[in-house]
Amino acid sequence: MKMKKVSSMLLVAAMALSLTACGGSGGGSTDEANATGEASNETASSDGAVNLTIWSPTDKEAVEAWWTEKLAQWNEEHPEIQVSREAIDRSDSYAYENKITTAVTSNDLPDIFYVDGPTVSYYAANNIIVPISDYFSEEDLSDFVDSTVAQCTYNGELYAISSTESSVALYYNKNYLTDCGVDVADIDSRTIDNPLTWSELAEIAQKCTTDSYVGTHIIMDHGEGLSYALEPMFISNGKDFISDDGAVAEGYINSKESVETAEYLANMIANGYANIDPIQDEFLNGACATMLGGSWDVSILEGSAEFDWGVTYYPVSDTTKKAVSPCGDWSAAVSKDCQNVDAAGEFLKWLTNTENTATYAAAIAKPATRNSSYQEEAMAEYQSGPRAMFVEQLQNTAVPRPRTPSYSVFSTKYAEAMTNIFSEAASSHSVDTAYIQSELDGVVAAFQEDYDMYYAN
Amino acid sequence: MKKSMKTSNFLTKFLFYAGNIIIGIIFVSPLIWMISASLKPEAQIFANMNSISTFIPVQASLDNFKEVFSRLDMLQVFKNTFVYIALILVLDLLLNSICGYALAKFDFKGKGLMLNFVVALMVMPMEAIMLPLYIEMSQLGWVNKLPALVIPFVAKCFSIYMFRQFFCDIPDELIEAASIDGASPVRTFFTVVMPISKTVYATVFILDFVAHWNDFMWPFLVMTGESKRTIQLAIQVFFGTQPIHYSAIMAALVVSAVPMLIMFIFMQKYYIEGIASSGIKG
Amino acid sequence: MSNPSKLSGRKRNERVAAYIFTIPAMFLLFAFLVVPILYTVRYSLFQYQIVRPDNILFVGLQNYQKLLSDENFWLALKNTVYFTVLVVPFQCVLALALAMLVSSKFRGVAIFRTMYFSPQLTSMVVISILWTVLYNSNPNTGLINSFLTSLGLEPINFLSNAKTAMNSIIFMSGWQGAGYQMMIFLAGLQGIPRDQYEAASVDGANKVQQFLYITLPGLKGTIKYVVMITMIQAMKLFTQPYVMTQGGPKNSTKTLVYYIYTQGFQQGNFGYACAVAAVFFVIVVVMSLSMKKLIAETN
Repeated sequence: MKMKKVSSMLLVAAMALSLTACGGSGGGSTDEANATGEASNETASSDGAVNLTIWSPTDKEAVEAWWTEKLAQWNEEHPEIQVSREAIDRSDSYAYENKITTAVTSNDLPDIFYVDGPTVSYYAANNIIVPISDYFSEEDLSDFVDSTVAQCTYNGELYAISSTESSVALYYNKNYLTDCGVDVADIDSRTIDNPLTWSELAEIAQKCTTDSYVGTHIIMDHGEGLSYALEPMFISNGKDFISDDGAVAEGYINSKESVETAEYLANMIANGYANIDPIQDEFLNGACATMLGGSWDVSILEGSAEFDWGVTYYPVSDTTKKAVSPCGDWSAAVSKDCQNVDAAGEFLKWLTNTENTATYAAAIAKPATRNSSYQEEAMAEYQSGPRAMFVEQLQNTAVPRPRTPSYSVFSTKYAEAMTNIFSEAASSHSVDTAYIQSELDGVVAAFQEDYDMYYAN
Repeated sequence: MKKSMKTSNFLTKFLFYAGNIIIGIIFVSPLIWMISASLKPEAQIFANMNSISTFIPVQASLDNFKEVFSRLDMLQVFKNTFVYIALILVLDLLLNSICGYALAKFDFKGKGLMLNFVVALMVMPMEAIMLPLYIEMSQLGWVNKLPALVIPFVAKCFSIYMFRQFFCDIPDELIEAASIDGASPVRTFFTVVMPISKTVYATVFILDFVAHWNDFMWPFLVMTGESKRTIQLAIQVFFGTQPIHYSAIMAALVVSAVPMLIMFIFMQKYYIEGIASSGIKG
Repeated sequence: MSNPSKLSGRKRNERVAAYIFTIPAMFLLFAFLVVPILYTVRYSLFQYQIVRPDNILFVGLQNYQKLLSDENFWLALKNTVYFTVLVVPFQCVLALALAMLVSSKFRGVAIFRTMYFSPQLTSMVVISILWTVLYNSNPNTGLINSFLTSLGLEPINFLSNAKTAMNSIIFMSGWQGAGYQMMIFLAGLQGIPRDQYEAASVDGANKVQQFLYITLPGLKGTIKYVVMITMIQAMKLFTQPYVMTQGGPKNSTKTLVYYIYTQGFQQGNFGYACAVAAVFFVIVVVMSLSMKKLIAETN
């Protein structure tokens, strides 16, 4: 008898659980009511202070220490706004985005979270993050490099703010290039108005490709890296990935100019000047002569390279000679679940002031977004040498990735297409223009389908 | 005559060991590579990948391990991980084995249906139901709490089915003998069946321990905060931002593999015992 | 006279015990596996952009219609089946061979078992990173290609060629996974009574005959179980293409679960991803239940 009772109780419990689980799903109004209830519980602490929570990816020790120190300072100075941070242990940026996405479905978002530059438009268009234009005056924003403000703006409103930037340029192994008869002094002397052209790069790559070296290194992460590092090539040759308003891909990524750009890159692979699947640290280990590498590579090379190296401006298309360079980094945004946007805005303003931007950028070893930060002592390293060159690029030639809510669909499909194009080039040792065209047409179709389904009015 | 047999015996033995060693090395090579990489400076990890020397650390040092232990509170991380895995495993071994036993040896209404149900549910990949499961956790108020890591993973179709398969092989006479002695079916299971099934329990223990020890995505989604880090989350600390430090990652992975290795070697005991007790069959 | 009533008493006891034994596990399966599956089916009827849970649109069977004409779905299905058909025999035979090698008691047996099982102790991410480098197309940086060229052969673009990428993943997966099935076979081998072998060797049966007439029949239950779970796990292939190839090149390593994951999370088409998941679920359930039946019939 007892057993029967227990088992029937279990059954009832099971049914009740399944009913509540199914009933409460996805319904807009009930969920929102829940969220408000929960959030106000969280926000109103006993002494009436506002509590804010931040999510950002876990980073190196210096950065973690920076957060601890700065938050302690803020919390002491502002008893009415108490801020705490959760470091998110991501394996890659996709995993981090999954966590954000999952939290969105159940209104578990923190008040402030960090997003990667090109995803700002996606979150903004879907009302996951809210505008913060009110907290940053035009004068204040003019101190930031243009590229970061552009990347964080959607529909004329500022949605995120960043302390750091990134850039890409061409690294070269001076010892090896000299051995191959390349005029290293000429490369050293290039300026931002007179960078290497594609044909010059191809020539260097050809000269330097031997049995034990490849001429250059193209990033092959099958993912976001392909968009990030290579978009400037497309822009330089005349056509961006998509239109400025972020709505149209037809005639951009599949244009004649863009096919030409893809052809140029595919030729590098087909001729064996670049590896189809380069290993990690290929340049550092002395297996390739040049590489398009990031501003973050400077410190590794300074620490470990056993050869003399240099870095020069991002190469330009022969036809336009237009200088363009990559940029973009993680930015802080205020979530829809935040109950006190004013407090969050005030905090972000403080978080990205000149001094904090400088010390944060120094801790994370990335270029700062604020021009005034470079006057700070923490940024002294950026006055000369390779780091200064990256800053010069950021201030003059940086172009952000497309600002469109369908960016992640575009980027995934584009990475797939480029991987296919390179794979075809590597196995056939030749470049098939028609195939490139068809792959890039596929990117347009995938982008347009997503955009039309969710965002076109 | 005797001598030649001895040499041929020796030869067989030699070949047997040589074969085992060669195959063993092929299988253990990634572990060796991981250990060797954890002792190397960053710049050397992917150097010399075209030769066997990549498996040998040249300028070995423990710097990477120092970094791991200075960055992470390993005691806390291990504690977090052990607690949740221990809870899962205790409940897993108990509930799934009794369920498997009932499906193997008892006669009752709905048995066939249950069995098909178990087989059918085996196929659902975690990746496909992750989000609905998260929504459910959120509705139960379990997000960022221990039950979210434990309760959904106690019942496992794989384990139930495996227990069932093995219990099916236990001779009915053995169970009947116990019941004639007056033992209830529940008691028979705990006093007769369980003690002779150590090998199966050990197998399920090993396989599930390893699966949960390596689990990243689910703890990542439901748990937030440094004090709640499980081992796989802790390792991600070193992925950080570009450039990725593989040297520290490899050291962290080696540290994380040690408990698994100890567990595995310890559980071997039950396999040897299994051989001794297999006389019950026939 | 008293016998039948005693028996029925026992039967009743057994029935009660059966429910006590099965209900806890069944309840948990229902709550945390069936309920999420019901959600999945429900969401598959909606146009649902993952970050807009407040703005979902009922579209009936539209997602399923789209699926029928989605060539990526069919390709993913084809790749998944291809992987399964090749990896299951490879992995099971390898696992059985390894189990036979280390089933008897000899000096150092625990060490060899640990070695064979060790790929399971190493995280899949490390294994994938290592094999990506081993498979590297350039003989200067890839161990396997450096070996091939030293034999005078042409290097192979293992992972970056659509023709070889999936086979490379199959080989690696079989090698990595065999230790898991080996443990199950080992547990199964313990169940075969020693005296059968002794009797056979007295009768003059050699090792091969002993294997064919004692070991294989004795492992029948285990083999069925192993083949079935290997098949089911193979159908769920995800991590290797996710880490090593991102489904490429030319979609050659895009599997169903990978497709579900990228559609749902990366592309945000959660409703559509749920439809793919539902169809995937039906396919594999039909496959495994019919296999279970097929195995039962061949007995």
